[in-house]
Amino acid sequence: MDANGPPWVAAARPGFPGALLDRAPCGYIAFGDDALVRLVNATLLDRLGYAAGEIVGRHVEAIFTVPGRIFFQTHLFPLVMLHGAAQEVFVLLRANDGTSVGMLCNAVRQARDGAFVTDCVLVEVRERRKYEDALLLAKREAERTNRTLEEQALELELQHQQLQDQADELERQRAEAEEARNAAAAANRAKSEFLAVMSHELRTPLNAIGGYTQLLETGIYGPVTTEQGEALRRIARSQRHLLGLINDVLNLARVETGRVEYSITDVPLSEVIAELAAMIEPQMAAKQLTYAVIAPHGELTVRADREKLVQILLNLLSNAVKFTPPGGRITLRCTAAAGVPGMAALEVEDTGRGIPDDKLEAVFEPFVQVRASGFGATEGTGLGLAISRNLARGMGGDLTATSTVGVGSRFVLTLPRSAPRGA
Amino acid sequence: MMTRGILARNNVRVLGRGEQPMLFAHGFGCDQNMWRYVTPAFEDDYRIVLFDYVGSGHSDSSAYDARKYSTLDGYATDVLDVIHALDLHDVIFVGHSVSSMIGVLAANREPDRFDRLILIGPSPRYINDDQYVGGFERADIDGLLEMMDKNFLGWANFLAPAIMKNPDRPELGAELTESFCSTDPVMARNFAEATFYADNRADLAAVTVPSLILQCSEDMVAPTAVGQYLESHLPHSTMRMMKATGHCPHMSHPDETIALIKSYLESTAVGR
Repeated sequence: MDANGPPWVAAARPGFPGALLDRAPCGYIAFGDDALVRLVNATLLDRLGYAAGEIVGRHVEAIFTVPGRIFFQTHLFPLVMLHGAAQEVFVLLRANDGTSVGMLCNAVRQARDGAFVTDCVLVEVRERRKYEDALLLAKREAERTNRTLEEQALELELQHQQLQDQADELERQRAEAEEARNAAAAANRAKSEFLAVMSHELRTPLNAIGGYTQLLETGIYGPVTTEQGEALRRIARSQRHLLGLINDVLNLARVETGRVEYSITDVPLSEVIAELAAMIEPQMAAKQLTYAVIAPHGELTVRADREKLVQILLNLLSNAVKFTPPGGRITLRCTAAAGVPGMAALEVEDTGRGIPDDKLEAVFEPFVQVRASGFGATEGTGLGLAISRNLARGMGGDLTATSTVGVGSRFVLTLPRSAPRGA
Repeated sequence: MMTRGILARNNVRVLGRGEQPMLFAHGFGCDQNMWRYVTPAFEDDYRIVLFDYVGSGHSDSSAYDARKYSTLDGYATDVLDVIHALDLHDVIFVGHSVSSMIGVLAANREPDRFDRLILIGPSPRYINDDQYVGGFERADIDGLLEMMDKNFLGWANFLAPAIMKNPDRPELGAELTESFCSTDPVMARNFAEATFYADNRADLAAVTVPSLILQCSEDMVAPTAVGQYLESHLPHSTMRMMKATGHCPHMSHPDETIALIKSYLESTAVGR
């Protein structure tokens, strides 16, 4: 470099430290508000490979790359015109050989010699540019990842919302079912309580009817004619029927409201069988039915409330008698193995008309009898089996039925076996 | 949106003592402050309306909608919003650079609102296309976007309030503590893409509002060939070649810019 410096410095401004500027370790360029270059130092000219004459007097855009020129016009120039300064702006300059040179630019716009001049100092960035490139790359990658994550989050949010909606719907259905169940239970409880109260209220006058009928029959109120006696017996029969019916209703109501107390003990079946025989054999004989009891050798003992066990078996045997035509056969069979571990079974089998398959479960419903399907007139409330099943379940067992129409029915009562003695 | 909402959203400022509105729309990269060298010359005779596009200057960036502002039509909606909010009629629209085409789109949507368009450094298409010379290749625009990214990496520096003396306008000293060309990097990038990838050549033929094209000498952003293309494709247009060089004559050569606008308005006002 010529120690006197290029002629433009001295010519442009006497006393300006042009020689020093030319030796500065960074680029320097000055332009007016018209963006025409006023001054440039040797460092910048050397780095870009231009002669001063190629730059001075021309638009400052001349030293920028094409993208750099747009940036200059849209950002850098407005910035110095409005701010009066720019700080560390990254610009891409175009060297004479066509390569681009990244530089950081600091600029100040100020009045000099009656006009505004923008002085720019330019420092080349090489290392920093590399870091910035890497940073930008990482930033864009992060932005892409972020966008992907945001999309995924959105998708998840959508799925979450759908699941939430489904859960809400399920919860709504569950609540509805729960409500319906509670309503049904409440209605059933109310019904049972009503029945219990009504049955009690009905029994009192019925007992009075029964008592006074008996008194009339004894003749203490005067002699009773044959016709009157017959009428009184009919009244008594009807009274007993009605009373039995009401007792059944009351029992079922008790069972259903859970107001039955069980006194569970070890009950030897042989004793129960003997007790039943005394009660049932007259009925059997009246209809010329054969009654057989099949029991295993040795004592079989179950855990049960003795009275209720007798009540169930009596109900089953009475039903069998009722539904078996004269000359038929009724069998009571006791087995230690009910197919369920620890359970004994008591089976009542008849040779009656049987129950159609589709009615088999219905016979355990309250107030159901199979008469509707033409299986003969019957007596009773139809509550017996419902009560019996409830009692069986109340004692930890069950009552089920199998049947073949035209062959007969079999009712199976299961109950827990007693623990072996000494065990 | 309510009037008050629009005025705050677009940082609308109204000044001047005249009646006919002059609506100044800034270009890409800056905000309404870029008009400060020219607006004083019109304050006596016109009602000056300045605003910032959403995403620029002191607009409400919470109103920014990336989808809406990914096309110039979204910015044209901002222009019409401002016009409706202030119920402006007979608008003289002054648009710099990309705002020229934004003004064309707005004027095509509601021509009755506009009196004249003054287009400073307009270009309907920046990228060269077959026979058409826009001045740029796509790679140049990509380079610009990259340079913007680089500067926004350190944008705190780039946009840091530069507290400098401004000897020609001492009264603006306090205002200079604020950053003028402040802009959000993501929004600026979106605006840059909307601007430089746009092609509005097909919108020119429909323009019915008379227009003045101010074409700078040696404007590399909007070269003279582009100005000539516009003059022949934009109906009712008048082109004036400026002595001013560069792309921002309203900042670099405000006197010439003012004189040309005034002479156009006076000449076309005759017979109205």
